[in-house]
Amino acid sequence: MLTINELERYDRQIMIANIGEEGQEKLKKTNVFIAGTGGLGSPVAIYLTAAGVGKIRVVDNDRVDLTNLNRQVLHWDKDIGKKKVSSAKEKLKKINHEVDIEAIEETITETNIFQLIADFDLIVDAMDNMPTRYLLNKAAIEKNIPFFHGAVHGFEGRAITIIPGKTACLKCVYRGDIPKEKFPVIGVTPAVIGSIQATEVIKYIVGIGELLKNRLLIYDGLDMKFTEFTIKKDPQCEHCGHVKKGYYKR
Amino acid sequence: MSIEVSIHQSLRHLTNGQATVTVNGNTVGQCLNDLVNQFPGIKSKIFDKNGKLLNYVDIYVNLESSYPEELAMLVKDGDKLHITLIIAGG
Repeated sequence: MLTINELERYDRQIMIANIGEEGQEKLKKTNVFIAGTGGLGSPVAIYLTAAGVGKIRVVDNDRVDLTNLNRQVLHWDKDIGKKKVSSAKEKLKKINHEVDIEAIEETITETNIFQLIADFDLIVDAMDNMPTRYLLNKAAIEKNIPFFHGAVHGFEGRAITIIPGKTACLKCVYRGDIPKEKFPVIGVTPAVIGSIQATEVIKYIVGIGELLKNRLLIYDGLDMKFTEFTIKKDPQCEHCGHVKKGYYKR
Repeated sequence: MSIEVSIHQSLRHLTNGQATVTVNGNTVGQCLNDLVNQFPGIKSKIFDKNGKLLNYVDIYVNLESSYPEELAMLVKDGDKLHITLIIAGG
């Protein structure tokens, strides 16, 4: 049940026919796990907080650095040296105090990942390296949690939405890795991709629209083009190949 | 077989700035070899020392992944190839 204040706060999105009060209540009941509070994590967390999801857990092991500020818009000059998750929580609570924000400063590892994602309905991939992205993908498949991938480099960005057991997963898209690098990026790129990830999350929660299922969306900001590539579920995939009909009913 | 290859932004300095290159070949591998013949500098960016695709390079044919056939995948006149590289920044 939405409060009078919530009805007013979310009035403009409740007006969207496909959302309505019912959709807003679904948003309020949903817990979202966001891995990373950097370039992608910032817009994802900002827009999901503004939209009124029930609870957000942000996880990041990093501290704010001057070189982050061209793109990681949750962090400001005054935050340099602070934990990113604390800086993020402070801003998100100011955007919307009604959303429960949990800030966890940890490195996501094979050891802690299942504990970190326990009780969360959705996982957003806002990381900056492939090994952790693969770890999140594998855990999402194991626990049957929808997974929203995004990545950026320079003016290029990508997004795909993964529904375990139904769609191709991140390991069906990519099999390799690239060395962890100091990657080039301008803030507008994660702004675009993070907003797309947040859009996908909202659509999934409310149950509307067409998701980026089996569709790798590549954004090229220099040519200002969006190109969509079809991805097929790989029966031999080392992460999701074993997921057959009935797997999640065990 | 005339095939159009879209070149990833990060590789265009190796194709004289061209976003697309027309190549010939009956398979993805032959098309990429023709690309390398035209622009030798691109070879080490898409192939390893054994002539296999680097594990962070993906080739799409008509917007669909060429995996698992990859280099062996047959192509026909008018097909479009995209060379993409894994990106991981966040």
